[in-house]
Amino acid sequence: MKNKPLLRIRNIILPLVFFLLLISGCASTTQVVLLPDPDGKVGTLEVSNVKGTQTLNQAWQATVSASMDRIPSEPKLLEEEKVRQVFREALEAEPIPPVSFIIYFRTDRSALSTESLTLLTKVMDAILSRKSTDIIISGHTDAVGAIDYNHRLSLRRAKAVADILIARGIDRQNIQVTYHGKGNPLVPTPDGRPEPRNRRVEITVR
Amino acid sequence: METENTSFEPKLEFMKFSLIPICLVFILVIGMAEANEPRAGFVKNVSGQAFIERNKVVTAAKVKDMLRENDILVTGNNGAMGVILQDNSVMSIGSNTRLVISKFAFEPANEKLSFIAQIKKGTVVYLTGLIAKLNHSGVRFETPAATCGIRGTHFAIKVEDSGN
Repeated sequence: MKNKPLLRIRNIILPLVFFLLLISGCASTTQVVLLPDPDGKVGTLEVSNVKGTQTLNQAWQATVSASMDRIPSEPKLLEEEKVRQVFREALEAEPIPPVSFIIYFRTDRSALSTESLTLLTKVMDAILSRKSTDIIISGHTDAVGAIDYNHRLSLRRAKAVADILIARGIDRQNIQVTYHGKGNPLVPTPDGRPEPRNRRVEITVR
Repeated sequence: METENTSFEPKLEFMKFSLIPICLVFILVIGMAEANEPRAGFVKNVSGQAFIERNKVVTAAKVKDMLRENDILVTGNNGAMGVILQDNSVMSIGSNTRLVISKFAFEPANEKLSFIAQIKKGTVVYLTGLIAKLNHSGVRFETPAATCGIRGTHFAIKVEDSGN
């Protein structure tokens, strides 16, 4: 009989402990830090949950959201070193962003100018620094000429660029060549109008 | 009788010929669905224990592996992984991380531009690409306690149990 009150307390405590464990088990915190862009500029980041939104607009500023039922914390400036420490693994694994290049051509030509060959040296650097296995080369023409002819011309231009990269040691299997004829202009023009900016090959190195 | 025959034959012929194109279209549609399985990106670098979970099947992640919508990126104690997505955005994860690519659509011509990732735990660094540029509300990171809408370009997120 004396045991009964104790049992009753247990009956309350056990579910309570279980409930608290359940809550803490579900709860997880989210920390968000705004980083400077690779070019040094800083954007704006909105972090929100159902209770509200915080806006980060300085590099290394952070906010913490502990749960969905509390507004994220006031933005706080962290030390760059500490952020680099916390996110070291992810920052070290961060790939160099893809980069694109454009090479221009004279009317009806697929031969590269001396300046274009110089630009290809920069393309080579971009490929090597990224250890890129994903190089996309797309050929284009302006709106002068027949559709079929322009398809072939744009392919010749793209292949001319690919051949030079291959000759400089890039694995052919890492290059995808596409051609668009006059179908994908950088500067839209009426059909038949010459436009030097559309006579081009675009190279994306990823 | 003759008139009946002549009216029947063309019908049968029509049936025969109509079945073949229907079958062909069917096969083509299935084939296209396979081929059009949207590619979300690819693995750029891997270190330590790093995996891709697809349809509940876990495989070790390798450089150049293709990523799709609904794939889950998983790392163990000493794992890390860097990926490049189709819109040229760049994402990397540190150890003990679990990230779901819950939505990825990059079809500028059809104005389908969105990327939604769920971070279950771990550390993630993201640098935006064309989706965020073309659709200001197109990129979102969801965690158990918050959602990140993005107008900026480069940020880091850490999700951890409050007990830790």
